[in-house]
Amino acid sequence: MYLYLPVALTSINVFIPVGLGLAVGLLSGLFGVGGGFLMTPLLIMFGIPSTVAAATDSNQIVAASTSGTYAHWKIGNVDFKMGLYLLLGGFAGGLAGVQGIKILKAMGNADFVIKITYVLMLGIVGTYMFIESLQSMKKKKVEDAKPAKESALAKLLKALPMQTRFEKSGVTHSILVPVIFGGFVGILAAVMGVGGGFLMVPVMVYILRMPMHVVVGTSLFQILFNCIEVTFLQAYTNHSVDFILAVLLLLGSTIGAQVGTVFGRKLKADQLKVILAGIVLLVTVKIVFDLTLSPSLMLGLGGGH
Amino acid sequence: MKTGEKVKVRSEKSGSLLLITLFILLGLSIYTGQASADLTAIANHDRIKIDFFYHGSNVSVRGISDPDTELIIKISSPDGHQELRQKGKVGGLLWMNVGTLNIEKVPSLYFLASTKKIDEILSKEAMAKDLLGYEAVEKHVEMTPVKDENEKTKWFNEFVKFKENSKLYSVASGNITFTRENGKQNYYTLFEWPYQAAPGNYIVTVYAVKDNRIVEKAEQKVQVEQAGIVKKLAGMAKNNASVYGLLSILAALGAGFGVGLIFRKGGGAH
Repeated sequence: MYLYLPVALTSINVFIPVGLGLAVGLLSGLFGVGGGFLMTPLLIMFGIPSTVAAATDSNQIVAASTSGTYAHWKIGNVDFKMGLYLLLGGFAGGLAGVQGIKILKAMGNADFVIKITYVLMLGIVGTYMFIESLQSMKKKKVEDAKPAKESALAKLLKALPMQTRFEKSGVTHSILVPVIFGGFVGILAAVMGVGGGFLMVPVMVYILRMPMHVVVGTSLFQILFNCIEVTFLQAYTNHSVDFILAVLLLLGSTIGAQVGTVFGRKLKADQLKVILAGIVLLVTVKIVFDLTLSPSLMLGLGGGH
Repeated sequence: MKTGEKVKVRSEKSGSLLLITLFILLGLSIYTGQASADLTAIANHDRIKIDFFYHGSNVSVRGISDPDTELIIKISSPDGHQELRQKGKVGGLLWMNVGTLNIEKVPSLYFLASTKKIDEILSKEAMAKDLLGYEAVEKHVEMTPVKDENEKTKWFNEFVKFKENSKLYSVASGNITFTRENGKQNYYTLFEWPYQAAPGNYIVTVYAVKDNRIVEKAEQKVQVEQAGIVKKLAGMAKNNASVYGLLSILAALGAGFGVGLIFRKGGGAH
């Protein structure tokens, strides 16, 4: 069955967005990512203009992350205090990132910087998580450079002022830590045009040392607020949110997020990390192929990345 | 000069005046776009409504034509502006967007059907005058930034490829069928109307061609417009953007909570 999308100005088989929503919602509930880094390119592949794909995806993430946050909150997996500090930093970083993009665009090399940032961030995060979680799954005591560096970082973080206890996560940090790292993710997310869940999750796991299950719930809580802001701005300034497409996507994603949460409870933290790392690496490989293989069409619609 | 000669000259003058008038009238009858007695054009609908379940349509064009003429049928939108991203290699390795191509005076949709290949039945001048064929459209459009004609041709070919891929441009020959009825020749052709075609006015023009020139023309308009819920939502997204944005967010929040509650009731996970 086909439905016409009034803002995307195209017709789509309803099973495509509902199915995509279900798959990405599942990932959202499992790993605490919004899934924008997967959904937006998939929607473009199915003929949705890139600006509409990115904006509408934000709208459906509001639904998926509400559903996911609610499910995780019920099982006590949301650290609201940590989430609010991350949100504060993320908001400031987002504003800075948007300004940075404007400067890059004026200099004429925005696309190059965006693509390279994308590949590097996905590649580094994916590889690190993959190796780290495989090693801890094998329960090997690895003594390489990375843990040493982290302990130096941990010492530095401990020396910062305004230390506070985050009860839900069972960690103590300076409030500057989530604000600064939230800001850093915010900048990158704005540059790449994504929500940044796949960056925020490793920050919470490896730098803030939060337990994996609280990471997922807190990440979703943070993503929910980010996406509410982005949806409104996109609808107001660019008129690029397609309500019908969003409804079709969220039909799948809200259910997917609930199923993901249930599955997530049955998987171990390291299993969750290794699967997420595998998906991130697959996306990286796909982007590298897109960048290096000759395109079939030398012209494309404007907007988006 | 004798009187008889004067009369002869006068009658020659009035004869040539009559001839000129006849030519002008004939010319007008061809170029006003009015269907003459011999050529008619009827599309199966003059209005295509884009509703909730729209997935494109069909536009058939039929009419009566002179058996001694060849036919060209064109459907196109009025000239407009197109802005597209150009892809190129950066650092000799990575493909990405490297610039913006602006094209003016270009139709967003262009379909051409003809009995034979148009360059076999029509002169270059006539093709250029009525924008028949990609070559004529290429000459007509204005493109920036391009250094020379070669670069214009290169990017125009890429533009056609892009449009054909979106099913918005097509040029084909040999796809018009003929039947005879009451001593008259009827023609018929069918265009698949793509859902990618934006709302707006489109013009169907049928050209009768003989001896390398256009001898008759007939026209019909096709209007594509949004209707019902599609029209309401598209209008609201543009004219009432803040309310539209808030409603989209509220719907998403409601759906998220709703599904959460259903799962709690149905699943009983705790």
